[in-house]
Amino acid sequence: MEKNRFIKYFGVIGIFGPLVIMIYYTYIESWTLAYSFFSLVQKYSSILDQSTMQEFLRGFQGLEKNQYFSSIAPAYVFFLITFIINMTVLNYGIRGGIERFCKFAIPTLFVFGIILAVRVLTLGAPDAARPDWNVSNGLGYLWNPDFSQLRSARVWLAATGQIFFTLSVGIGVILTYASYLKKGDDVALSGLTAVSMNEVAEVILGASIIIPAAFVFFGPMSIGNIANSGAFNLGFVTMPIIFGQMPFSEVFGFLWFGLLFLAGVTSSVSLAQPAIAFLEDEFDISRKWSVMIFAVVTFILCNAAIFFLGNGVVDELDFWGGTFCLVLFATIEVILFGWVLGINKAWEEVHHGADMRIPAIYKYIIKYVTPVFLLVVIGAWFFQEWLPIIRMENVSPENRPYILATRVGLLLLFLVLAVMVKIAWRKRRTKARGT
Amino acid sequence: MTALGWLFIAISWILILGLTVFCFKKIFEKKKVD
Repeated sequence: MEKNRFIKYFGVIGIFGPLVIMIYYTYIESWTLAYSFFSLVQKYSSILDQSTMQEFLRGFQGLEKNQYFSSIAPAYVFFLITFIINMTVLNYGIRGGIERFCKFAIPTLFVFGIILAVRVLTLGAPDAARPDWNVSNGLGYLWNPDFSQLRSARVWLAATGQIFFTLSVGIGVILTYASYLKKGDDVALSGLTAVSMNEVAEVILGASIIIPAAFVFFGPMSIGNIANSGAFNLGFVTMPIIFGQMPFSEVFGFLWFGLLFLAGVTSSVSLAQPAIAFLEDEFDISRKWSVMIFAVVTFILCNAAIFFLGNGVVDELDFWGGTFCLVLFATIEVILFGWVLGINKAWEEVHHGADMRIPAIYKYIIKYVTPVFLLVVIGAWFFQEWLPIIRMENVSPENRPYILATRVGLLLLFLVLAVMVKIAWRKRRTKARGT
Repeated sequence: MTALGWLFIAISWILILGLTVFCFKKIFEKKKVD
């Protein structure tokens, strides 16, 4: 592999993707901390309808001045706190920071999730005038299949990106963590356990909370309207009102957003890990200085997400970093794994130190089915959406300069990382010649 | 909620919970051996 001049540049996507996600993710994460705090001090407890809650969110995001917020300052303060927490956790390294933090955060997250899921699933139909707005139909809103959507390549790309995102696959995060494993660690069982627990959190707990609850209180039309107002708005508009209509609303709100914040921090620290490990391992920079350099760069970039949120910058970053790059990098990874490393060697590596045997059919799935599936998804998306995306057909004319600037910025960031990879490899070659 | 919706939810929950129980069983077995 080292003989190929270009193959090393594939790794750039593994640093680029998580870095792009980190730019907007930290800001969204800070909203959860803010809303947890607002719930505790009852800042939105008097708001009982959806449009006022949207006004509250827009005021907080700095998109308008209103009775709740006169500037973006509170949001910026919560962002600073979140950013400092992230960098502090990162500074202590994987064992000292991330591992210790996860040991506390993950069980807490599950306890919060179970409490909320039980609460939502026992809501019944709270509005006697609308018996159809019940939990059963709320679950149906999420689970009743709509087969016509299968014709849209964007749906396939989004679904593939979603599962990769939640498993941290295709963004270099798992690769970075894997590099810290010992030779005899059981990768098969660890991987399977991570997937099953992720699905418990996402499909069983997550899918039993927000959408069914929003359906029960607002009905099917409003869910779509709120979701269309911004990729991340549904939870921040819906849940506070839902909690407001429950007993112990402050406690429920505090727990819910606290849960999201804890989950967010565990994700964002792992998103930062590939870039920090790259600085540490390839440029021999100490952990402390790597975190410092990373903090300065991401802090500057985060400001674009904060101040140009209303111009669609966050949604644009989310599509390229959080969906497209994930699927593209995962495709490259699976081809490297099954074809370049070779499926037999890869199979041997997977089972090294493993107590269980993975069914042999997965050899063929990994080698043939997964790469073909991913290439078809990317190809179909390219065929269906390439031109509208280039022409920015779905972007309003006033936002086009911001979207264009975001794309140029992303391209520059990618080029800078590619140059850094080139320097790192040259350094490595010089070192190898010297020894 | 349609019958197909219930079917999807049932299959998903059974598979996920089954896999989780299997993994934890394996983890505890492994810990016992160690």
